[in-house]
Amino acid sequence: METIFIDIAEFLTSWMVGLGLAPLWADLIITILQWAVIVLIITVNTIVLVWMERKVSGFIQERIGPNRLGPFGAFQTIADTLKLLTKEDIVPARADKLIFKTAPMFFIIVSVMLYAVLPLGNNMAVVNLNVGLFYFISLGSLSTICLLMAGWGSNNKWSLVGAMRSVAQMISYEIPLAFSLLGVVMIAGSLNLSDIVTAQNRLWFIILQPVAFIVYFIAATAELNRGPFDMPEAEQELTAGAYTEYTGMRWALFFLAEYTNLVAVSALAATLFFGGGQGPLLPSWLWIIIKTYLIMLVFMWMKWTFPRIRMDHLLSFSWKVLIPVSLANILVTGAGLELFRWMGW
Amino acid sequence: MIGKGLLKGLGITFKHGWEKNITIQYPEVMPNLQERYRGSLEFDPQNCIICGMCTKVCPNNVLSFESAPMPGSKKKQLVSYTIDLQYCMFCNLCVEACPTHTLYFTHNFELSTARRGEIKRVYSPPAEAQLLTGESQAELIPAEALEPQPDAEAEAKRLKQLQAIKGAIARGNSKVLDKFVDFEEDASLLMTILQADQKKQDKMAELMVDDKNKARKVAAAFVAKEKRDKTGPEEGKH
Repeated sequence: METIFIDIAEFLTSWMVGLGLAPLWADLIITILQWAVIVLIITVNTIVLVWMERKVSGFIQERIGPNRLGPFGAFQTIADTLKLLTKEDIVPARADKLIFKTAPMFFIIVSVMLYAVLPLGNNMAVVNLNVGLFYFISLGSLSTICLLMAGWGSNNKWSLVGAMRSVAQMISYEIPLAFSLLGVVMIAGSLNLSDIVTAQNRLWFIILQPVAFIVYFIAATAELNRGPFDMPEAEQELTAGAYTEYTGMRWALFFLAEYTNLVAVSALAATLFFGGGQGPLLPSWLWIIIKTYLIMLVFMWMKWTFPRIRMDHLLSFSWKVLIPVSLANILVTGAGLELFRWMGW
Repeated sequence: MIGKGLLKGLGITFKHGWEKNITIQYPEVMPNLQERYRGSLEFDPQNCIICGMCTKVCPNNVLSFESAPMPGSKKKQLVSYTIDLQYCMFCNLCVEACPTHTLYFTHNFELSTARRGEIKRVYSPPAEAQLLTGESQAELIPAEALEPQPDAEAEAKRLKQLQAIKGAIARGNSKVLDKFVDFEEDASLLMTILQADQKKQDKMAELMVDDKNKARKVAAAFVAKEKRDKTGPEEGKH
């Protein structure tokens, strides 16, 4: 069970080589297959997550949530997707058409690219990049440009305000996010995500770096534009923020990308702080799914508990609290590492 | 401690997450209504003594009734009782005023109907009550017939109505046709038919004044024919 996906990939490669295909081509086809699988995982995940979000919010508000279509309303999201697919695709007359149309595509592409370095089990990263974490953080901040494109291209005041908020939020929260992960990198001594998982063999980093985890969690919520930091969308003030002018499948792509980012960020948290695929009995790929889903449940729990924070509070919280705390965390981690080295561990 | 309030909030939502849902799955599970809940206003023709208290007290003129004198007695007899529920505000005044508890509220709250006319409820007295005065039926039911009208006046009224209807058709006011067809689109369809043909228009107007049932039938036939003519060639095209 543990290596089932790796075995399948190896079997396919050897089968294609056996057919007389050059190994390079076989590898290329396997990589394309891996991406296809990732896109499939993302789509299925989003369907499950939308349903889960609605169920969780329902339970918290003592409602039932979707319950008409399929067992426990599980097929509701599929019906919603079909509806979105059949909806009219409206492009506003005064919009910047090229930017308007490409923004959702870039958004989803950036989100999918995040999965390249995530180890979805032992040795199961698509690309085993030695600067994986760096790649992840830099790609993560690219999604803001897509939001800005959507806001600018829509030629709508709500969209632009939402996009500008998203940019301000990203600039503020990218710093504590990166700083909080530095502590982990310092202990593991590597930027490769698989190496970081291996470094947690004996002790998960949540115990060594609790402050870093909390800072990461808060900053990630802001980066994801999720409640209570969903200022760029802010339905009550900005109708739908940067997504105001989008309809049908273009809007659905944004939605898909948001949930994709949620999964990616949660999977990264599981990888960096909760030992990735490590766990007893079950195979590693199942463990990382379980851990990711538990973290996402906490994200949802927070969204449906806290009211939206004010924009200036949001920014000052980052600059005045999170950045000093994460800097102090780096200092303490560095001092601790030196101390242990001096003690001869 | 900083963040204590946040943890408290998370605790509250966590607790609510496990509590019993307060949603009632309405069509499958009926809501538990209070004893004095005012649902539909109902009428029991058997108990009515035609005192008229309900119509006097009703602020919105929801209630109306027709009565006829009972032959050989000072008492009156109920011909029909109408509750036009669309104007009712469920104030309970009629129920309080009614001395024989003939009017009452039920727990039925599913009052929506497919057509506006169906909201209006007309009750007629029960069959047994009519049997008692069997021989006087003929003169009882048509209430207008009790008051004999001079022929000339009736003729003048008829002509006036005829002219009004013709005028309405000429202006394209499809509201006059609503009573004779089932759907609004049929009414507009019928209007176009009538406007195209002067002969049909005159005939229809006469029927509408003289024989409403026949007018309905003729209208339905016109509409059906028009629909056939319309859809036929279009289907051929596809």
